[in-house]
Amino acid sequence: MQSSENGVESRNGVAESEQHILNFLDSVDSYLILMETLSSALRQGWLELASARHSMGASRVNSALFDLKSHHASTTVQVNDDLPQFKLCKWASSDDPEKYSEEAKFEEDELFQNKSDGPRHQHQELQEKRRDGGASPVGTDNQAQKERSKTLSMFGTLVSPKLRATQLSFETALEMLVEISNTRASLLHAYDQVQKDRTNTE
Amino acid sequence: MYGFEALTFNIHGGYLEAIVRGYRSGLLTAADYNNLCQCETLDDIKMHLSATEYGPYLQNEPSPLHTTTIVEKCTLKLVDEYKHMLAQATEPLSTFLEYITYGHMIDNVVLIVTGTLHERDVQELLEKCHPLGMFDSIATLAVAQNMRELYRLVLVDTPLAPYFSECITSEDLDDMNIEIMRNTLYKAYLEDFYRFCQKLGGATAEIMSDLLAFEADRRAVNITINSIGTELTRDDRRKLYSNFGLLYPYGHEELAVCEDIDQVRGAMEKYPPYQSIFSKLSYGESQMLDKAFYEEEVKRLCLAFEQQFHYGVFFAYMRLREQEIRNLMWISECVAQNQKSRVHDSVVFIF
Repeated sequence: MQSSENGVESRNGVAESEQHILNFLDSVDSYLILMETLSSALRQGWLELASARHSMGASRVNSALFDLKSHHASTTVQVNDDLPQFKLCKWASSDDPEKYSEEAKFEEDELFQNKSDGPRHQHQELQEKRRDGGASPVGTDNQAQKERSKTLSMFGTLVSPKLRATQLSFETALEMLVEISNTRASLLHAYDQVQKDRTNTE
Repeated sequence: MYGFEALTFNIHGGYLEAIVRGYRSGLLTAADYNNLCQCETLDDIKMHLSATEYGPYLQNEPSPLHTTTIVEKCTLKLVDEYKHMLAQATEPLSTFLEYITYGHMIDNVVLIVTGTLHERDVQELLEKCHPLGMFDSIATLAVAQNMRELYRLVLVDTPLAPYFSECITSEDLDDMNIEIMRNTLYKAYLEDFYRFCQKLGGATAEIMSDLLAFEADRRAVNITINSIGTELTRDDRRKLYSNFGLLYPYGHEELAVCEDIDQVRGAMEKYPPYQSIFSKLSYGESQMLDKAFYEEEVKRLCLAFEQQFHYGVFFAYMRLREQEIRNLMWISECVAQNQKSRVHDSVVFIF
């Protein structure tokens, strides 16, 4: 009787170890895909920036126009020390940074819900939704659009669509970075579990 | 009906027309661009350009090169050629040549004012100014708080003074006011240049009217597309369009109410010269519009050289060189970013 109970326990333990290994491999796969997507988003962003300079002229798009006056950050990252977990709060209003962080939370919730689809798929979906302007609530979407235009206004208020596309690409890259951070945290957690299982087995 | 330019043009303009036609023969050809597009690094680009007229300007630049360095040095060549022509010109050609640079002057004024608003160092801003648009008191622009002071302290003694009458206010300068100031100044400049060319008459008036009308129409389209989704009202948008050109006045009325790129296409396709431009684009797309407009502009500028005894060749040459510098900038960026597959997205061949 006791030996069969031990057998069941050891089988459960093996299954759990295997699950930890699978989780670890899944995390590594997600991490590598996200890194590739980030690299692609940044490449696209830099080329679009060059295209915007080509279109608008070097005098309208250059680093000498960056605003050095102190102003609120339009996008912040909140850190939860438990896992750790990072949360991006995008396009908060400079008048009321708390009020319009809902759009960021909404998008983050969407990201977590769609995690099973894979990062590349959900990244493409997110870009399409933003470009179509479909998913977000209208009020927060308008506010996000206003904040985007405000940030871009350092290059002038009538900017080329290419510069707006550049902004979207780098915004996507920023989201990727936060997601990579979260994936890396869960990857390291999964790795720790695998190591613990190995130690217990030995 | 042209005047008898053939009898008298060469007395004052013959030498410079020959000079500018010589300069024109130094423009890069399709073979040069093919070589440049195959370069792996910016040093390769420098090596290929050393065999062209840009060679002396780039030869002393140390590695590693930057794309802005290539653009700066190529621009210096254009500036030297322009200054040589201006030094040799007599009236009215000298005034005509000065008109060509007022657009750069407006860009420099806006750059200094915007940078000052953003608390940037004036010296840093002056380094970014286009050399063709420099004037003596440009650094003083940094002290102005509103347009009235801009005008009173600095611009009253510059060629841009007459263009300020439509945009003088006492409102403090902000991003929207500056943008409206930029476009209002440019509108006034284009209209003034157009009137000046009309006064010159003959082949100059005919050729320059076509080129400036195209410029006015292109600006109207760009203003429309860039203002979609912004706070600029329809009336304000309409006020920024120039009062001449193929689109004036009915095309402007349609463009003023456009809310997306397809409506802009609908308004423009009623005009045959622009129908061919928009036919190259797919619906909802505006990325290739710039290249389509540049290609049309280059075609018209090259045609200006088919005729003699007019000042349009000087304007055409300056614009073709600027296009060439844009091409070099784009090729350099694609090479530097390892994106050579995209190099033909924005290169416009001149010959």
